[in-house]
Amino acid sequence: MAGVKELEKEVIGAGLCTSCGACIGICPYINVVKDKVVVIEPCGITDGRCYRFCPRTSSDLTILSESIFGSKRSNFTMGHHTSVEMAQATDPKVRSSSQYGGVVSALISHALNSGLIDEAVLTKPFDDGFMPDPCIARDEDEVLECTRSNYIAAPTLKNLNEAIKERDGDIGVVGTPCQVLAIRKMQMQDLSDTRLKLVIGLFCTWAVPYNEFYDYLNDKIDLNSVNRLDIPPPPKEALVATDEDGKVELPLEDIRDIVKKTCRICYDMTSEFADISVGMVEGMEDWNTLIVRTQKGAELVRSAISEDVIRVEPLDDARYNHLHEASLNKKKRAIEAIVKRTKNEEDLSYLNISKEERDAVS
Amino acid sequence: MQSVDVDEPGKKVLLMGNEAMARGAIEAGVNFCTAYPGTPSSEILETLAKVGESNGIYTEWSTNEKVALEAAGAAAFTGLRAMTSMKHQGVNVCSDFLATVNLTDTRGGFVLVACDDPGGHSSTQEEDTRNFARSFDIPLLEPATIQEAKDMVKWAFTLSEELKLICMMRSVTRISHARGNVELGEIVRVERRASTPMVDIFTSMPPATRHPALHRKLEKAGKLFEKSEFNWYVGPKDAEFLIITSGTGWVYSQEALKLLGLQDEVGTLKLGTTWPLPEKLVSGHLKHAKDVIIIEEIDPFLEQNVKILTAEMAFEIGPIKFYGKRSKHIKDTGEINVDSVIKALTKIKNTDYKPRDEEYASKVKKLVGSVPARTLGFCAGCPHRASFWAIKTAIKWDGRDAYDCGDIGCYTLGIGPAGFMQLKTIHCMGSGIGLATGFGNLERFGFDRPVIAVAGDSTFYHACIPALINARYNSANVLFIILDNSATAMTGFQPHPGTGTDSRGHETPVMSPERICEGIGVKTVTCDPFDFEETTRTIYDKLQEDGTRAVVLRRTCAIIEDRKRERRPKVYVDQSKCIGDECGCVRFCSRVFNCPGIVWDAENEKAKIDEVICTGCGACAKLCPQDAIIVESMEGEN
Repeated sequence: MAGVKELEKEVIGAGLCTSCGACIGICPYINVVKDKVVVIEPCGITDGRCYRFCPRTSSDLTILSESIFGSKRSNFTMGHHTSVEMAQATDPKVRSSSQYGGVVSALISHALNSGLIDEAVLTKPFDDGFMPDPCIARDEDEVLECTRSNYIAAPTLKNLNEAIKERDGDIGVVGTPCQVLAIRKMQMQDLSDTRLKLVIGLFCTWAVPYNEFYDYLNDKIDLNSVNRLDIPPPPKEALVATDEDGKVELPLEDIRDIVKKTCRICYDMTSEFADISVGMVEGMEDWNTLIVRTQKGAELVRSAISEDVIRVEPLDDARYNHLHEASLNKKKRAIEAIVKRTKNEEDLSYLNISKEERDAVS
Repeated sequence: MQSVDVDEPGKKVLLMGNEAMARGAIEAGVNFCTAYPGTPSSEILETLAKVGESNGIYTEWSTNEKVALEAAGAAAFTGLRAMTSMKHQGVNVCSDFLATVNLTDTRGGFVLVACDDPGGHSSTQEEDTRNFARSFDIPLLEPATIQEAKDMVKWAFTLSEELKLICMMRSVTRISHARGNVELGEIVRVERRASTPMVDIFTSMPPATRHPALHRKLEKAGKLFEKSEFNWYVGPKDAEFLIITSGTGWVYSQEALKLLGLQDEVGTLKLGTTWPLPEKLVSGHLKHAKDVIIIEEIDPFLEQNVKILTAEMAFEIGPIKFYGKRSKHIKDTGEINVDSVIKALTKIKNTDYKPRDEEYASKVKKLVGSVPARTLGFCAGCPHRASFWAIKTAIKWDGRDAYDCGDIGCYTLGIGPAGFMQLKTIHCMGSGIGLATGFGNLERFGFDRPVIAVAGDSTFYHACIPALINARYNSANVLFIILDNSATAMTGFQPHPGTGTDSRGHETPVMSPERICEGIGVKTVTCDPFDFEETTRTIYDKLQEDGTRAVVLRRTCAIIEDRKRERRPKVYVDQSKCIGDECGCVRFCSRVFNCPGIVWDAENEKAKIDEVICTGCGACAKLCPQDAIIVESMEGEN
């Protein structure tokens, strides 16, 4: 059992906070400023939700898997799933305003339209002085304001906490792998979230801290006019910023230098505990990779296809294998980085995985 | 209470020491009274202000003690009787003028009343202002009773006029704030007109001639003091054991002698004029004494002066064993009392007298064990609590551990739990922003913390403005936060330049800290500290800027606000929403924000509003994570 003191020491103070927002909005003691989580004063409690919900405190993937998927954790590379396909929103308007194929926007809009959820907890990029801003969407127009990414982690889950605490409707969330992990820990430990009906996870390799990223970009481009940031698949090795005047390419190695410390110990590229995971497809800007993991996720996708909201195509083997490899590589890097920190091969810090899994990813 | 200006000589009335001093000034026909409030001196001018208009007395709350003394000095130059009162630290503030006006020939009686606070009950330090009298060659009077407090002030004007020199009177907390019967004297009513003499120059220059002249005045004072009715001796003729005392020591020593049954053995020389010493009077008693104990509060002032005299007259006086502060029989800090005198006398006399029964200490300890510890706290509804919560939050948000220099006022408590330990320095009026101008220029030497200074509105006018100018002039990186509660709250809500009234209740131009700051070129924004979000955000944003900048947090003192209202908004806790000790709150309102208006209902394990204390400000309702604190709307009320 532990509380905010331990959270401050082991996670925030150690530079491992993911800025997911799971600990924000549940009490008056923890605040967030841009992407920086700060403890105003320790509350003194020895068993705090802040600590329990945090994706960087002990997370037992075996138990989580059993609780979410009702089955033993078997796919150690990409997490439990029932299908991996390519997908895109059928509406070109949705696709053009989205990062890739617009599948996340289309599915969330569909969930809202079909009454599966009443509100969606999303993130609006480029909002508060280039800082992505957690927001709530209740219809398609609001969803389309929350497309795209700027690679800065936003404390989106503070809005989930707010929605749970203050409102009655059913909720859907779109989050990064760390946020999905936090959401599932919240669900396992807190019963107040039976209204959480849908979790769409994004693929994520890393995020950057606001201040450093802002300072880096501010030297090079006019941040006010940037409306899209993108990291095209290898071998490009660049961050492409698009503004009204065109595109600027920035070397990826510069950005890798400022990647959040906590992302280096992240074990999950594909949001393995989501209902549905969505990411890009190598070399196909207009499409997404779509991983369906739960029955709930499968039902939503089925209904979205049948109502012509999205269309799917099979993902070819080469691309599937690349995805598989990328996901596994992230795990390997994470374990290496964790062991480097703990200086103990057996101590994987927050990550609690079975011996079988450890052997499989090593 | 009867008005302090009642014209009934011989009548006995119960007066507070400070009221008695005001009465003394009224009896002397004082014309011009100035002061800056400060405990334990504030009631002197307050009392005079109440009756000033009807007695032709001008009263003024000055912006600080230096201008107070200077303004009164002008009146004394023109032949009016003038008085300035202040707490001991005020004498430090006005000391620059004091150290020059002493060289000036004044005309009307000019009296400075300094009220010391031994032990520093209401001060950031303790100090013996008698040393100023010695340093600056100023005659000094020390009242020992409330009656004397009145009589001495009255006489001080006569003395000042006779010497053409400012005179000082030193009171202490237990004179200023004690009450006693006072026999009223005649109110002298003289019509005085302010005028300048033919040679209308008033100056300390040239010191080469003025300083020797001052010494002659002091010698004259010493001669006058030989016959002063404020000095007397009681006890056996030619007592070998002699107490020399002044101020509160007189009453304490007499009570101690009585309890010890030593009145017939020990003589007491009580001095009311302590600088310069009435040397003949003192040496006359020293001649018959073999053991001498000197009883006084704070410094060994009398003790040193008596010892110097003894050394000078060693052949006439003969050997004496001295006791006092130097011998550690009387403590040289803090207040003294009857017990400390008894302790000293029994130690010297080697007798066994216990002022209390043997068990007393253990009994007290037992009782004290059951009394809950109390820390100094802000009043219910105090805006400072809200301000400090916002400051604390903003500093945490900023993450660079901003360094917050404090100042003098209610908000000084910000150094403790009441203000969430936010203040890091506390010294004297205006020194917060002064220190901050230094801290704010230390980045070049590696000091990497952002710098904040806080000051109250009255303190701002008193001593912050030159420091703020210094900060701006020297490009100090300082965020200056003015905690404007529209009053000199700590000393009793006296008006100041920002309040729109003066000591007499007359309307005055309202000065604005914002406009003064802007005039200096310091960008200033204003927030309501009860708007936590905006206040915190503003302080945070300002912390990101460089240079000298200011934020005014304005919200009237809760006590003033409360007095103005006929009815308070009702605030209550919806206990069905309150989660008390659970994760998500952990008694935030009653444990952390800690307004005394909110209490812990132990029976229900929920928060509860103490309706007697709660002022209805609703600040807690804005912070409650469960929205469980409800503020009833006042709308519809007439």
